[in-house]
Amino acid sequence: MERELSTISGACTFEHDGCITCSDAGIPAKVISLSGDDALCEDEAGERAEIAIELVAPVEIGEILITHGGVAIGRVTKNEADKLKADG
Amino acid sequence: MKYVSEFRNADLARAVSAEIASTVDPNRHYKLMEVCGGHTHTIYRHGIKDLLPDQIELVHGPGCPVCVLPMGRVDEGISIAEKPEVIFTCFGDMMRVPGSKGNLLEVKAEGADIRMVYSPLDALRIARENPDREVVFYAIGFETTAPSTALTLQRAKKEGIENFSVFCNHVTIVPPVRALLDSPDLRLDGFIGPGHVSTVIGCRPYEFMPMDYGKPCVVAGFEPLDLLQSALMLIRQIDEGRCEVENQYGRAVPWEGNLQALTAMSEVFELRPYFEWRGLGFIAQSALKLSPEYAAFDSELRYSTPGVRVADPKACQCGEVLKGVLKPHECRVFGTSCTPEKPLGALMVSSEGACAAYFNFGRRAEERVEIGSKK
Repeated sequence: MERELSTISGACTFEHDGCITCSDAGIPAKVISLSGDDALCEDEAGERAEIAIELVAPVEIGEILITHGGVAIGRVTKNEADKLKADG
Repeated sequence: MKYVSEFRNADLARAVSAEIASTVDPNRHYKLMEVCGGHTHTIYRHGIKDLLPDQIELVHGPGCPVCVLPMGRVDEGISIAEKPEVIFTCFGDMMRVPGSKGNLLEVKAEGADIRMVYSPLDALRIARENPDREVVFYAIGFETTAPSTALTLQRAKKEGIENFSVFCNHVTIVPPVRALLDSPDLRLDGFIGPGHVSTVIGCRPYEFMPMDYGKPCVVAGFEPLDLLQSALMLIRQIDEGRCEVENQYGRAVPWEGNLQALTAMSEVFELRPYFEWRGLGFIAQSALKLSPEYAAFDSELRYSTPGVRVADPKACQCGEVLKGVLKPHECRVFGTSCTPEKPLGALMVSSEGACAAYFNFGRRAEERVEIGSKK
């Protein structure tokens, strides 16, 4: 896993999220497929895991979810306020 | 990954860093607290501190649930884990948190059936697979983690699984921050708010910071650019005399939070009248317990835990570090009798604990400063 992580600066992944018990480290993961109340999601390192999606339903394939402890708690959306500009 | 990797762009980080340097008032000091342990980790992992001018001091907050757990709750978890009928499940970092007579890893080595899980749903699966055993999940975490436990308990109830219970140590973020603001020890200029807690609770709960205490708050994401940008937003508020809650992490944090998650939490949990925090003492309505509807899943009731209080080791200064009064390296046992391999205090255990983050990523920077100052 360290080998894969070495290519991803600061990756927060299913295998290495800094700290599983953290108050606040969600893992962004992309929805690959859906199956009832669960979704197969893929993190930035390419690792896949079943994630419970009741708390963010309905979910679409291709969405990026914020996951924590095997459960999706939010989603990442395009937000104009986040536009990166050097002047903030 | 879209919306993630863009926030690690080095050129943009340098540009924001330069913008911060040109924005700060050279004649004043800005003391900003990152509430969340995840932010502390990002700050050290990515060297954010080195990208900020000297006028900005970052103070680590109480946002690591392992670190704020009092030793008595660790001991009570261990006493449940030692019961022969129990399969005790917990997140990885909990295994090494010292109780008064050892940690869960040591109890496991002595024969207790303790298993590390990544999700409370894994603990529920173990309960399904072992109907003749009692499976206990050691639930810990702020509002980021509490929905996972809530969802797991909803599924357990729906499926009628009776050999599963939760030792609930979930805490809430606002009361300890309020306690810090009430503390005379600490003078802060603003807060970097926790991003993923806010994914669940939204931004509105932080409005007391500007309204009651006159402190600005910027809810921030976890990539390096998120933190730099939020620092810049705070500096601008302070310099312009504004004081409000702003959301830097709009791509993941709706202002109202996640109503589905909040609904699940309100069904499964209720507020405790008070809860003990390491370093901060008892704080009213700062933690969650299972609601009456879920009492059958409550390990505290099932095993009649006595609610013991245990004092921290005398040499340990976790409390002062948690309150931001001391920097980790200023603790008298930091890096000597307290290391990640053999932690004395919880802040050295969790990789998001301020001491462990300092030890792993920040220590050399401090040594550089010290060596430089001796010239």
